[in-house]
Amino acid sequence: MIRMGWLLLAAAIAGLLPGAADAQMLNARRLGMGGVATSDNGASRSANIAFRAVPKGEGYGSIPLPLGLLQLAGDTPEFDPDDPDFNIFEILDLVSNPPLTYSLSKPDEVSGDISIFVGRDSLLVDLDDVRRVIPEESMRQGGVYHLFGIGFGIKNFFVQLQPIVHVRNEFDLDPNLRAALRDAEPFVSNTRYGLVDDGVAQAAVAFQAGIALRAYRAPAAGAGEDVDGVGEEDGDPPDPKALDPRRNRETSLYLGAAPKYLLGLAYGQVDGAGGVTTGDTLFGSSDPVAFDMVARTRYAAVGEAGGMGHGYGADVGAVLFWNNFELGVGINDVGSEISWDTTVKQHVYSDSLNEFGTTLLAVDEDFTSRIPATTTINVAKRMGPTTIAADLVDNELSTGVHVGAETWVGKFALRGGFYRDSNGRWQVAGGTGVRFGGIGLDLAVASHGRYVEETRQTELSASLTLY
Amino acid sequence: MRRWIVVLALLPLLMGGCGDRSLILTVDILSFLDPADVSQAYGPIPGGLSGVTVDVASEEVSLLQGIEDVTEVSSATLDIAASFDNTTGTASASFRIYITSADSSDVFSSTPIADIPVSLTPGAITNVSTQVSSDALAEALVQDKAKIGVRITFDTTASGIVPVQGTETITVLRATVITKKDL
Repeated sequence: MIRMGWLLLAAAIAGLLPGAADAQMLNARRLGMGGVATSDNGASRSANIAFRAVPKGEGYGSIPLPLGLLQLAGDTPEFDPDDPDFNIFEILDLVSNPPLTYSLSKPDEVSGDISIFVGRDSLLVDLDDVRRVIPEESMRQGGVYHLFGIGFGIKNFFVQLQPIVHVRNEFDLDPNLRAALRDAEPFVSNTRYGLVDDGVAQAAVAFQAGIALRAYRAPAAGAGEDVDGVGEEDGDPPDPKALDPRRNRETSLYLGAAPKYLLGLAYGQVDGAGGVTTGDTLFGSSDPVAFDMVARTRYAAVGEAGGMGHGYGADVGAVLFWNNFELGVGINDVGSEISWDTTVKQHVYSDSLNEFGTTLLAVDEDFTSRIPATTTINVAKRMGPTTIAADLVDNELSTGVHVGAETWVGKFALRGGFYRDSNGRWQVAGGTGVRFGGIGLDLAVASHGRYVEETRQTELSASLTLY
Repeated sequence: MRRWIVVLALLPLLMGGCGDRSLILTVDILSFLDPADVSQAYGPIPGGLSGVTVDVASEEVSLLQGIEDVTEVSSATLDIAASFDNTTGTASASFRIYITSADSSDVFSSTPIADIPVSLTPGAITNVSTQVSSDALAEALVQDKAKIGVRITFDTTASGIVPVQGTETITVLRATVITKKDL
């Protein structure tokens, strides 16, 4: 029974994590522009494989400055559960919002006393401040993470090896349990209070070979003239902007495609539901609460039954430039699937025996998992020192929108933007930068909702940009 | 009752670690008593006697199993209120509440948690109330079961030959236990 308690607790804690949490953006230039993806932003390169073929624009590389680590060093949460200052929600906040950017504001500490009122036929639980972290709606979190890959390219071709992790979890309380915990409504007799959790996690290594090239180019009228008006005939070096399709008014189309073989390392899926059903009397002399819990698991892993998985997928992308206007469409993990030999089990809690029973349903059952595609559509328009950009990023869990602008005044840049995060809330951002030759320092301030409490807070991000 | 532990024990775990916070458990003990024990007639008790004992209630009630395991009791209080509708006679009485863990053999052999003096006069309603706290109360209320006893001891020597009788009603019997997490 104790184990079951911990299972419930783990499920509850899982449900407290922020839904489909947005990753931190460590590139301050991009964050200052609302996180928008463009072809000349190195942090966006993985969003559209065709970006690889586009000549480097301004700011092709970024080195993050993790100011948050300094903040953490000066304000470390208490990790000792025996310490009076220990607060598990501070730890959860640290996980949901890693200390890489500097937090300019933080949510109020989740605190307060918990009150339980018990009578023969009444039970009321008032979580007080803890109610803030009980999810109002179904909580979904996860994503597809393309981790640091290694590879090399020759001309238009490239090969790379890249780990991929896909995680998705959906946790939900039924209306009765949510009302009892979040709204402190009294528990009533003959009612079920339940929760469901549906999670998938898989890891693979992608062996990818691809091509990214310029498929079409029509120079703008007057091509070859210096965009900045300072030509080679003056003895100056060639103007890089004359070669930049973003700024030379040419019409060009860049395409990219990279099929990949996916070597599956591990797959796990759990689909569970559980609850308690009250009897005629909440606290009678007999045992008036009936428990139910059933979970179905499917798994395969290297070194375990089923072993490795095998599959294929692809990344494709295109970018069109016309009159300093950019339109890009990138789709990662098109048709990415992995075949596994899975073991399937069902775990059912027996109310009468007060223990779990496990039934082996299948061994080496063929199963094909899917790595969901992520589509990024971006537009941008460059007008002299000013860039206006927007994108739409659609993935398994949400559709994000980013809009931003940047303008340069001499060596200084001003940026602003906004975005809709994965929880559907709008956030704002702004920033500045200064350029010293081939390197620049960028700062951005942005709002976000990554904390467990889901309140809007602000962060400061800093990074160096390589020009 | 037993299985509520799994649900309710999660609460202190969940509050887990909300810093130096408390779990406040309020138990309406009165609701667990048999309604026949809540309001009960006494007497007629002949006048001129002392130490006449009337056992109003003696019950075992289920509480929240597991609370003791996950929390450390900071304090425990018991709010008591009762009404005595005395029809005839004059007496002084002691209204006593006993609460012990369920494994004790006789709840009335323990030291009373509360001992409330009551003066009864003919044709008068006397209301009494008090709040008591004790380590014994705390110890008993964090168990999964507890024994509750209510006893009234009458001294009718002041009543002369008039017998004492009336109706006693317990109106409040509510325990509040404040615990800290002890994980």
